[in-house]
Amino acid sequence: MKRRLFLSTVAALHIALLAPALPALAQTAKPLAGQTLTVLLPPWVTLPKEMTDRFTEKTGITLNSQTLGWDEIRTKIVTSMVANTAPASATEIDWSWVGQFGAAGWYQPLDGILDPAVLADLPTSKIFTYDGKLIAIPYNNDFRVLIYNKSHLDKAGITSAPKTPDELLAAAKAIKAAKIAEYPIGLPLSATEGSATAWYLLTKAFGGELFDEKFEPLFTAPDSAGYKAMRFEIEALKAGLIDPAATGLKDVEIQELFKSGKISFDVAGWAGNLAVYTDPSKSQVAADAKAALMPSVTGKSRTFGLPGALGIPTSAENKDAAIAFVHWMLEPETAIADYTLLGNLPTRLSVLKTLNDDGKLKEGDVLLEQAGLVEPLFAQGTPGWYPEFSSAVASALNQAAKGQISVDDAVKQIAAEAKNAQQ
Amino acid sequence: MRRHILTLVASRFGLALAVLLLLVWSVGPIYWSLVTSLTSPTDLVSTTPHFWPPSVTLEHYGKLLGATSWSQGNQVQSVWPQFSRAFVNSLVTSIASTVLTVVIAAFGAYAFVRLRFPGRDLLFILVVATLAIPAYTVMIPLYRLMISLKLIDTYTGVTLIYVSAFLPLALWLMRSVYQSMPVSLEEAAWLDGASKIYTLVRIVMPLAAPGLIASAILTFLNAWGQFMIPLVFSPTLATKPLTVLIPEFVTRNYVDYGLMNAAGILAIIPPVLLVLFLNRYLVQGLMAGASK
Amino acid sequence: MTYAPSSVRPRFYNGDAGLGLAFAIPIIVIMGALVFLPLVTTFIDSLYRVEPMRAGTPFVGLGNYKALAADANVRLAWINTLIYVVVAVVLETVGGLGAALLLNKVKFGRRWLLAALILPWCLPPVVNAVVWLWIYNPSYGLLNGILQSLGIISQNKVWFNDRETALFLVALVHVWRMMPLTAIILLAALQSIPADLYEAAKLDGAGPIKSFRLVTLPLISGGLAIALSQSTVFAFNLFDEAWILTGSSLDTRTVIIQVYMSAFQNLKFSFGMALSIVAMLASLLVSLIYVLKVYRETRFD
Repeated sequence: MKRRLFLSTVAALHIALLAPALPALAQTAKPLAGQTLTVLLPPWVTLPKEMTDRFTEKTGITLNSQTLGWDEIRTKIVTSMVANTAPASATEIDWSWVGQFGAAGWYQPLDGILDPAVLADLPTSKIFTYDGKLIAIPYNNDFRVLIYNKSHLDKAGITSAPKTPDELLAAAKAIKAAKIAEYPIGLPLSATEGSATAWYLLTKAFGGELFDEKFEPLFTAPDSAGYKAMRFEIEALKAGLIDPAATGLKDVEIQELFKSGKISFDVAGWAGNLAVYTDPSKSQVAADAKAALMPSVTGKSRTFGLPGALGIPTSAENKDAAIAFVHWMLEPETAIADYTLLGNLPTRLSVLKTLNDDGKLKEGDVLLEQAGLVEPLFAQGTPGWYPEFSSAVASALNQAAKGQISVDDAVKQIAAEAKNAQQ
Repeated sequence: MRRHILTLVASRFGLALAVLLLLVWSVGPIYWSLVTSLTSPTDLVSTTPHFWPPSVTLEHYGKLLGATSWSQGNQVQSVWPQFSRAFVNSLVTSIASTVLTVVIAAFGAYAFVRLRFPGRDLLFILVVATLAIPAYTVMIPLYRLMISLKLIDTYTGVTLIYVSAFLPLALWLMRSVYQSMPVSLEEAAWLDGASKIYTLVRIVMPLAAPGLIASAILTFLNAWGQFMIPLVFSPTLATKPLTVLIPEFVTRNYVDYGLMNAAGILAIIPPVLLVLFLNRYLVQGLMAGASK
Repeated sequence: MTYAPSSVRPRFYNGDAGLGLAFAIPIIVIMGALVFLPLVTTFIDSLYRVEPMRAGTPFVGLGNYKALAADANVRLAWINTLIYVVVAVVLETVGGLGAALLLNKVKFGRRWLLAALILPWCLPPVVNAVVWLWIYNPSYGLLNGILQSLGIISQNKVWFNDRETALFLVALVHVWRMMPLTAIILLAALQSIPADLYEAAKLDGAGPIKSFRLVTLPLISGGLAIALSQSTVFAFNLFDEAWILTGSSLDTRTVIIQVYMSAFQNLKFSFGMALSIVAMLASLLVSLIYVLKVYRETRFD
């Protein structure tokens, strides 16, 4: 009896001592616990359960992540924001939307939410400033690199990765002739953004630009880089080096073809995807996926960056939860998981360095070398009419690929639409 | 005699063949979709079509309804919350617009047939004429109207739009139903001192029940199948219906055809149930609308 | 017309108007606010420049319409839409007539055959498109699979690469959905033909084809007109199928897709509104032609 009384008194004392501390602990740990956060993200950020569980465990916020095809996200954001309804509390913002969304004032400036040290760690954040304000925080450091299947090249007797577009064509022909892959070159040709950006990349590979400083088209003359780039794609298609079904395939579907070993070259390869390509649980060519610098006619490789960022709409509910999400996405642990599981290259330099030092950055040497050669697509900043222009490019390229119009007509059509869009 | 039997058999055979063709044409693709949703991913990419899955699997349905789902080789959160919410949204907007439409049409069509009021015929012609106007002609200003009324992404907003879209057909149908009913029944009631409303509700409507049911079914099916309107007016999961969620699945799971077909099969369960059990009313209603 | 006896007419006449209006008011309010007002707004706004991304809405008169006429994409969309309408109406009418004739003849299990027939029409068009997308898949789809095993094609064909086949295949999905409606309308019309007319024709020595031409066709002309006009309007409205199957590809883009893209992707509202007005006028015109034709024909009865 006495003992029990003693024990219960001790227990009560313990509880009494701890009790004031407990709520304080709970408060500082998870101030936003119990809230639900909706985020709108592209397919390559379909966060695995282990990551979403970790987020909920850390912050107590339930994550409701909606992933949508990339081409559909922009329309959704636009239709919702014009109606003053936020489609989600945090959304993807692509580098190409900054001009349009910034001008419309739909996104909340995020200048204060990051530590200055973290901000300095994010060189790509410059791309996401509009009118001096940071409207989105980059989390996906995509830039393009040539990804190829080494075993295909070995079997065809090709010893090194192609360095010029002509070498690429020759290698593809050799692979096709040796019956290793029926359609060695992987390029999307459907009327989607992935096709347009692949063409921009090839324009750079042929040593040119899309527009001059006054945004006049530079791709209409037959000896211009853009023209040559389109002709390269169409002729490769006609020569049977690109799958005829590519006219209905998006970039993400081309990536699936690479993973299943059906194509030898992922020409507009996403730098981060090597993590997924070399993962045996996700890819059938894990041992053979390699990266090389983007081929270029000038001998000096060029590529451009297409980073993805997170933004918070001005009319979003749960802004605090959204900010917590953004912070979490930038944490090294999350960024590394994002890379290994989903192939999204981290944007923080320190994280990239850690990955490389640990040897976990797949094809790290090539990537780092290519990273040093990344240019922006538009030196003057992405204009607000880019989405309309890009959509016209994709449609024209798609028609040319289907043989409905010639390359000549296609570039003229694009130039006309560019003019239209700029009005 | 022999010739007679031969032609009889031939015509019977021809008839059976034609019926079979019609069945394969109408139901075949749905059957194929069902088979695909039950086929394992490896069997799906084989080059020969199998008309029954070599090994039936419920994994695609599991990805939709289960506690976890899979995407690109990673285990992800369950999509059930989204799926179930979209299903509920579809149900709510479809039922609400059906109820509203049928009620308004039941009373309104009666007014067009039995009650005289100024502008009656003109109004009817105008309303029915809207059937010939493509929906998108009014979509943009409707969008701006809904924005100013703050009805975007609300059940109310979408329901009202559906009602405005399906009311003409329901009115047309109910009007022809009422017209085919002899006035004598109502006259008898009026002579007995019943008010017009009482007569309408207690005597006319029960007799017109098949027409009401047909209108309800038609409206429900139309509302359930809507895509473009909710694509614009229901951007978030708060009101997004199943018809918008499924193409989103398609864009996100680009090569997972088993999953896409499974989602499609789930979305057609209510319409299929309606057709199976209520096809008599549906056909009656369609034919009644047709014979005007 | 009401046949109320004259002694009661005065008493109910006044109540009529009030009650009638009361019943009609919800209709007036809803249709007025959500259809007629936006229609008028569409027309008026198409004469201005209305673009949410740009400030101000200046009056541009027929500027938008001129831009429409000059736009190559819009022209292409018109051609595509017209092709869809023609293909859809022809296939739906022929197929629908065939199905209606068949159903008229079938006595056993007609109810279930009808249920199977209308099934495609009852499903969300979006689901139809996903189902057929899989059937049309170049590598693993049923279409290529069947054609290959029958030896009609030697290797998998990418159907959406050719504009003609792409247009036809998209139209086919639409036809699959809409044919039941035509079939039901024509079935209703067929069933209203008295059997003795056929007896009389047979006695006169008419074979099946002749009696079809002389008895059936004229008497279902009313239903045929309705079916034709419904097919046309719905084909004009073709959005879901083309959008899911081919997205924004120019070679299969319809007018309504172009309206959606101009308005909701490029945010050029007034351009979209001008286009939708023109499309509406075209659709009304075609429907009017059918209606007048039927009116003229039934007048001769």
